Amino acid sequence: MSHDGHHSIVIPAPGPEFVPHTVAHHFDSPVQEFQSMKLGFWLFLATEILLFGGLFAAYFYFHEAFPETFRVGGAQLDWRLGAVNTTVLLVSSWTMAMGVRCAQTSQKQKTLMFCALTLVGAVAFMVIKFFEYKAKNDHGLVVFSELFSGYNEATGQLAWFKDYDGVMANVPHGHMFFAIYLTMTAIHGLHVVIGAGLIIWIMKGTAKGRFHAGYYLPVDLVGLYWHLVDLIWIFLFPLLYLVP
Amino acid sequence: MSAHTHNDHGHAHADAGHDHGGGLQMGHHHVSSAAMFFNVLAILLVLTIVTVAVSRFDFGGANMLIAMGIASVKASLVIAIFMHMKWDTAINKIVFLSSFLFLSLLFIFTLADQATRRVDHEMHTTRTPVDKQWVHPSTLEKH
Amino acid sequence: MSTNVPVIDAHPTISEPPKNYLNCSRGFMSWAGTLDHKRIGIMYLIGVSAAFLAGGVFALLVRLHLWEPHGMLFTNETYNQIFTLHGAFMVFIFVIPAIPGSLGNMVLPLMLGAKDVALPRLNLLSFYLWCGGTLLATLAIVLGGFDTGWTFYAPYSLYTDQAVVSIGLGIFLLGFSSIFTGLNFIVTTHKLRAPGLTWFRMPLFVWAIYATAILQVLATPVLGITVLLVAFERLYNIGIFDPRLGGDPVLFEHFFWFYSHPAVYIMVLPAFGIISELVTVHSRKPLFGYKLMAFSALAIAIISFLVWGHHMFTSGQSTFAMFAFSFLTFFVAIPTAIKEFSWVATIWKGSIALNSPMLYTLAFLIIFAIGGLTGVILGALNVDLHLHDTYFVVAHFHYVMMGSIALAFFAGLHHWWPKMFGIMYDETLAKIACALIFIGFNATFIPQFIMGSQGMPRRYATYVPEFEGYHHASTIGAVILGSGVALMVYYLLASLLIRKPAMQNQWGGVTLDWLTPTPPPLENFATPPSVTTEVYDYSTLDYESLRTPVR
Ligand code: HEM
Ligand SMILES: [Cu+2]
Repeated sequence: MSHDGHHSIVIPAPGPEFVPHTVAHHFDSPVQEFQSMKLGFWLFLATEILLFGGLFAAYFYFHEAFPETFRVGGAQLDWRLGAVNTTVLLVSSWTMAMGVRCAQTSQKQKTLMFCALTLVGAVAFMVIKFFEYKAKNDHGLVVFSELFSGYNEATGQLAWFKDYDGVMANVPHGHMFFAIYLTMTAIHGLHVVIGAGLIIWIMKGTAKGRFHAGYYLPVDLVGLYWHLVDLIWIFLFPLLYLVP
Repeated sequence: MSAHTHNDHGHAHADAGHDHGGGLQMGHHHVSSAAMFFNVLAILLVLTIVTVAVSRFDFGGANMLIAMGIASVKASLVIAIFMHMKWDTAINKIVFLSSFLFLSLLFIFTLADQATRRVDHEMHTTRTPVDKQWVHPSTLEKH
Repeated sequence: MSTNVPVIDAHPTISEPPKNYLNCSRGFMSWAGTLDHKRIGIMYLIGVSAAFLAGGVFALLVRLHLWEPHGMLFTNETYNQIFTLHGAFMVFIFVIPAIPGSLGNMVLPLMLGAKDVALPRLNLLSFYLWCGGTLLATLAIVLGGFDTGWTFYAPYSLYTDQAVVSIGLGIFLLGFSSIFTGLNFIVTTHKLRAPGLTWFRMPLFVWAIYATAILQVLATPVLGITVLLVAFERLYNIGIFDPRLGGDPVLFEHFFWFYSHPAVYIMVLPAFGIISELVTVHSRKPLFGYKLMAFSALAIAIISFLVWGHHMFTSGQSTFAMFAFSFLTFFVAIPTAIKEFSWVATIWKGSIALNSPMLYTLAFLIIFAIGGLTGVILGALNVDLHLHDTYFVVAHFHYVMMGSIALAFFAGLHHWWPKMFGIMYDETLAKIACALIFIGFNATFIPQFIMGSQGMPRRYATYVPEFEGYHHASTIGAVILGSGVALMVYYLLASLLIRKPAMQNQWGGVTLDWLTPTPPPLENFATPPSVTTEVYDYSTLDYESLRTPVR
């Protein structure tokens, strides 16, 4: 958006491998642009907290209603896989923080490296998640192929909840834990995938030299998003895998 | 609070790189030390182990509180250090933290309703039965 | 390093009209791809007006059907669909986005002395999310309609064989449209105020939109997850709202009203903002209790998060929860009453101009007093057990949503119409339309208060013959109301063809929106404004601008 006769503010590139940044025309200063975008993004993150918050409220509600179901259900999850994934996300959060730091100090190669490491974390997380889902599938706790096949009112059978081993046979509404587990982890997983996409986008920009000490805002914001994904998992891990 | 609190800085940092490690945006922004990031990561990993460890013991009703307490400490570290909130502007802090405040309203009222419904049930079952039957007004007229 | 040179538009030549945001570029893409807040505002205006007219047609169908006790037009099933469409279109597609989307977009950056909103791209995205949501809602009609009422209560919404998923996802998109609008306005208000425009120099419309935005950002995500969960229930029976699977339908109501009570303030706060502007401009008197008004807007926003359970008094909440919610509900009345009193005190001894925006404003003041007070009546637990789900509730929320919010929207539309387009509508027709709307509205809903208090249940396709007279009155009122709206649509559209020039400052406002040329140039101000006086200081009014016609 440039208009004839308007002088735009340009943040110069700190070196030949970088490109300058032009401040959007409706801002008076780079600081105003930076702060506006950042405030906007924090607001967005606040909406994410409330969106997930609804799921957490449902978790606590039914944890209270069916404590046994949650205890037995939680025991069916492999806490080791959960702990590994927690570690993966925490480390990737650290690499992301380092990536932002390197962008702030115009270290292009290092920014790329740390972003790539974060990306590896994202992929590792999803791969582990896949094996976890597969195990649930094999035990009939979440039968993915019949996820959308509905509920049989006459038999009281839920198509996706078969419980081949009968582990949930003695607790009320055994599917409830797995329904909440599936929904929370799937929505969280979706955020991981979106985060991975954003990191790839950031890496492209970094490679082109768009981000440097003078203008690292997008790296910063994607970093915040990635930390949020981590933040939510920090609560999901004890609630789902170590049901208190 | 003014929209242009930082304008003074804005004009000052016209030449990039004269301030500590930053360019145009850095007049007010913080570059954390790598060592601090690493320490935080270490603490987070230790706390993860602690979470798993305490889950082996049964503290009865306190289980949930302990688990959520540790998770909150971890979350606070991520927010304060990794997300730079500690060095962020007041409004950004208010915005993000208020999301937890308002979320807690959803939790408090919904869970309070659920918890006190049990009280209702007890009241209904223990109350002495009413001796007079409730009579529909239309039947009264017939006397 | 280039410096920030103030933007000075080329001086207009004598023969050509000056460039403004309307005539600066042409063609479909110059609108569909625009990042200019004013053009986005106009697109919203067109969109929400169309939604209002569609919702209005549904309303008239409902009223006509109820002419006879056994129903005149539809089967019961179709009737259910039609009142649902009416409610869903009016609430989600019209009232919630109407004022922030159209007038908020148009006026807020002007009032702040900004060149645009802080995030113009996000602003355009909001508009397209609105379009997408509206499209999905319309698609749901094609897919067979939906009959759950605008509230989507579980478990019925889980079991009915209708297009709930489509409308649910539509509402998800509409929700994010609303969130992004609010987010944008918060950032704009914080970061883009002109030099000298301190918080307590901001016009109250800005305060109101700001308070609304807080609600939009903090409450709407919960609606988002709620409709998603309903969609999940229908797709894979997650079970948390489904009593057959151990779920609790009351949990759905908690989630829904956690959003939807604050949502009534998402709807009404912008209306408050408009009225606050209009009472001062058209009585040419500073607003009475300005700071108190600003704080009460924020107080309403906060308190509105604490009362949602007053919609659930008969739903099986615990006694304790009912008591708490009923108790807290009364606190809403305090800041709301402060507002009503301030408006009246502002008009008092003012130099009142009885033009059409002011007439709509006065109508608002009367109707909102009734709407708000009947809310307090409903908030009383024991009374509500009797009145819940009767026409009394229907009348209450139409007094606030149609009689207050829609009327405030009309008031604002008439107030800023000359600013937006540089032209005036026919004032005489405007006054007639306002009278028709006021009379028709009251004729429609006063009988509903009476019927409701006598037990006429809402959302029924048929009724006992005792209520026939009231229903007749109500339907006749609705037709009068509808004809008033039709007249308004007519003269507003006609004004676009007749092009009678408005004045540069048609009403004599002194906020920044009236200090830029009419219609505003592309980036709003020829030179970046700065503010040196207090808000609503009419001693600064430049009377010349009241007499200078738009070229
Ligand atoms: C100011 C703008 C207001 C708006 C837009 C509004 C809107 C609404 C709506 C839409 C409903 C019906 C919801 C449904 O479909 O079931 C409703 C019901 C209710 N309103 Fe309001 N309202 C407003 C003000 C108030 C106030 C000031 C109070 C009380 C202090 C209040 C108390 C209630 C109560 C208690 C109900 C529930 C009635 C029932 O369903 O039994 N409202 N309102
Ligand atoms: Cu309410």
